[in-house]
Amino acid sequence: MKKITIPFFDECELYPGDFVEVTGKIYCGRDAVLPHIVEMARGGTLAENGVDLNGALIFHTAVSCAGIAPTTTSKPEIEGSMVPLSEHGAKFHLGKGRISKETIEGLRKNHGYFLIVPPVAALLTAKMTSKRAVVHPEFGMEAFFEITVEDLPAIVAVAHGESIFAEQGEQG
Amino acid sequence: MITIEQITQDVARLVVQASSHWSEDQVACWQEACGREELPRARWAMEQFLKNAEAADRDQSPLCDDTGTPHPFLEIGDEAVLPAGFLEAMEAGIRKGLNDLPARPMGVRGDDLERISQCRGLYDEPGMLMPAPTQIRRMPGSRIRLTVLMLGGGPEIRSKTQAIYHMHSYDHVFEEMIQWAIPQVAALGCQPCTLSFGLGRTAVEASSLSLEAIKNGRYDVQSDVEKRITDAVNAANIGPIGLGGKTSVLATFIKVGNMRASGFRVVSMRPHCCMESRKASWEWETKA
Repeated sequence: MKKITIPFFDECELYPGDFVEVTGKIYCGRDAVLPHIVEMARGGTLAENGVDLNGALIFHTAVSCAGIAPTTTSKPEIEGSMVPLSEHGAKFHLGKGRISKETIEGLRKNHGYFLIVPPVAALLTAKMTSKRAVVHPEFGMEAFFEITVEDLPAIVAVAHGESIFAEQGEQG
Repeated sequence: MITIEQITQDVARLVVQASSHWSEDQVACWQEACGREELPRARWAMEQFLKNAEAADRDQSPLCDDTGTPHPFLEIGDEAVLPAGFLEAMEAGIRKGLNDLPARPMGVRGDDLERISQCRGLYDEPGMLMPAPTQIRRMPGSRIRLTVLMLGGGPEIRSKTQAIYHMHSYDHVFEEMIQWAIPQVAALGCQPCTLSFGLGRTAVEASSLSLEAIKNGRYDVQSDVEKRITDAVNAANIGPIGLGGKTSVLATFIKVGNMRASGFRVVSMRPHCCMESRKASWEWETKA
């Protein structure tokens, strides 16, 4: 089990199949808000909106009274955010399911990683100690949140251009 | 004599139970499947799911943060007398149950067009997620049985309803169903899943029968055909959350409806995600 503290600035020695535990402040967003975050990143307005992507982890989840758990990453507005956000500093993306070869290659170029975790809301929510809507709070559970987690479990699915799903037959 | 208030309370309890509790046969199936996994990462994922189910059951908290859309399935005895206001009380109970849980607030505001684009945002109240239209069947006796099923969003991306040309061979139809299932289960992200299939004459009928299949399904009762489909998809080595391993599908439930003279059968498939089936039932006696 490898421990990761977010924000993460060290050299990463992680490979597909590695078990990790994540501690620190991480961001949460999904379909509704991630395209807005990409737009802010490209427009250079992240800092004025209180977002710092350097060494960040983006968890593909809603944040609600029902807790946190990954949604399907391959939804176009979510997967479409991964490479652009890595280009602007995000180190990790945490979700579930397969991603395309194009996204895997885009992450490789930007030294980004894709982690996955089972959608075990009762367990994951117990790892969250604080939550705060940072961008578009009017989106409710779909706002861009900053949450604090301690020892959130995950497994590395994509690293250095390689995918844990490859041996099951990659799907584009 | 059942009262409207009692119905609302009972239905609210059903929603919480369905959202936080797996049946005994379901847990036993999971435990058996977990014990068969040899790949460490697959076993890790299966253990996470089992621990999660224990925690959700203990705390009566959601199994998944996608608490799902309530689908009421009502069976009415031929001799039963439905109390006036039953459906209204049932809907009030669903709303109360979503608030009690609490469920994820997912109800979308606005008129028809605004709801499609979600441009007016969401309701803050979990109970504003309206249930799907009620399915109704008849049964013998004087009781009313309600099953509430909570259906999550991910499986809907992988569901499929389409005609299959049967070529006068049920083997041909089942093989086609297996070919549907493998890529959709692989892409789901929430494996292991439970497959439900409805076979009927129209898209509406087949979808309704697929829901009836998951409502009726017990994880310790599998027909030869159901087991054949489960085994065929499991041979694809997709595994828990796609990590590889033996368990991609826990069980398959099939409901075959009436057929018409035709060269095709309409098949509706839903790969219910790892947290499903989420369902709970209750019966009321209507005779005084």
